[in-house]
Amino acid sequence: MPNSDRYLYAVGRISVMETRLVDSSKIERMVEAKDAEEALKVLAETEYAGHMADLGSVYEYEKILEAELRRVYLEVRKMMPSPEIISLFARKFDYHNLKVLIKAKYLQENRNELLVKDVGNIDLDVLMRAVSDEDFSDLPPLMREAAEEITEAFRLEVDPQLVDLRLDQAMYAEIFADLKALKIPFLTGYFTRFTDLTNIKTLLRIKRLGLDRRFLAQALLPAGEIEAERLLEQLDEPLELILDGLAHGPYAKVVEDGILTYQKTDTLTRYEKLADDYLIDYIKQAKHNKFGPEPIVGYLLAKENEIKIIRIIMVGKINQLPVEEIKERLRDVYV
Amino acid sequence: MLSTGLVYAIIGAAAAVLFAGIGSAIGVGLVGQAAAGVVAEDPDKFGSTLLLQALPGTQGIYGMLTGFLIIWRIGLIGGNVIDLTLQQGLSVLFAAMPIAFGGLLSAIMQGRAAASGVYMIAKRPEEVGKAIVYAVMVETYAVLALLMSIITLFYIPL
Repeated sequence: MPNSDRYLYAVGRISVMETRLVDSSKIERMVEAKDAEEALKVLAETEYAGHMADLGSVYEYEKILEAELRRVYLEVRKMMPSPEIISLFARKFDYHNLKVLIKAKYLQENRNELLVKDVGNIDLDVLMRAVSDEDFSDLPPLMREAAEEITEAFRLEVDPQLVDLRLDQAMYAEIFADLKALKIPFLTGYFTRFTDLTNIKTLLRIKRLGLDRRFLAQALLPAGEIEAERLLEQLDEPLELILDGLAHGPYAKVVEDGILTYQKTDTLTRYEKLADDYLIDYIKQAKHNKFGPEPIVGYLLAKENEIKIIRIIMVGKINQLPVEEIKERLRDVYV
Repeated sequence: MLSTGLVYAIIGAAAAVLFAGIGSAIGVGLVGQAAAGVVAEDPDKFGSTLLLQALPGTQGIYGMLTGFLIIWRIGLIGGNVIDLTLQQGLSVLFAAMPIAFGGLLSAIMQGRAAASGVYMIAKRPEEVGKAIVYAVMVETYAVLALLMSIITLFYIPL
């Protein structure tokens, strides 16, 4: 028997949980709501209601989203027969925490409220101890290596940007190493697409800032399908050429529309939306394989996407953006 | 002293029950896991998922029926054991093969179809009929296998 029956129970639960995702008609109502308060009322009809009991004001919406993300991760991790798959996605919390801790230490700013508890793979106390003692031996090898490099570099000069760049690279190197061992094409495909789209965005940003190749090399994430050398070469080329180079690849639609809009409006908002939609479209295929871990991952990512959508709406509502402008930024939904 | 032919016939009876039974056990197990997941989140789905879970169970019954037919025809029930020749024994053994293996595989595949059906009604409870139809389609091949086994067994001259 193939061990495809490992996921049956979890996928059964996920099938029901998917029905509780916020659907597009509720999103629509939230966008059309006359103010943030009314938008939150729509949210109260969904499974977010549980986190809204002791909400002081609409400005605390972030608390709801955080609580929901935590709930989903804890829930999914509990039911998942192969937790290492969830660990792939939870790694960002570990790295986020490490970034916050390192920056707090060297920039003397206390941002403890930014730390994420319980959902990461590494206990927060372990990270705290590692940073305060400058002893990273309890951390996974690639994280440790990056952290040691940063501490070393900080003896000469404190550069907060290095923390972000170096740790992001370490995180994706770690993720791709794990993906190699997991051998699940759906997951490798997702992270490859994600890093590619992120790298293209990084290229555009750095080009705009007029920074050099050395900096771009530091900022590119490893192991996408588009090689780093190619992106590095394109840094000095005009936008049209970059567009041409990418227009025949798999990301043609995202790149064309995204970069053309970027040329006109000078913002990457459209590109970011298209890139997210592209990824959501990709993970939708998870629904077709009911006997593997795909639907569980699909749900997790759908939930993250949903939280992102709600955040965009709430930010828009609080800043009283016109409905049209919010709609432009909205991502597609999973269901 | 049992004749060699008789031994083969009994192996046939055992194989029919054994393989079809294994298939059904796996099939029902698959659907059960999927259904447990759905019911954990939504207890109202118990009735319709139970219906789907029962479907891959029929192959085991077909195997049992065939096995029973064999031991009845060779006279194990009733006490007048027929002294089968080797040819007769082998014929009985092979007559049991359609339901043994047709049952084994169709039960597993039906289990998968029914498990998918369970996921479907998790989202669209009103479509339970369609989910059942999809799973029942697989039943055709179990029934064909059973038919072949039974007809052969009835007409083997013993």
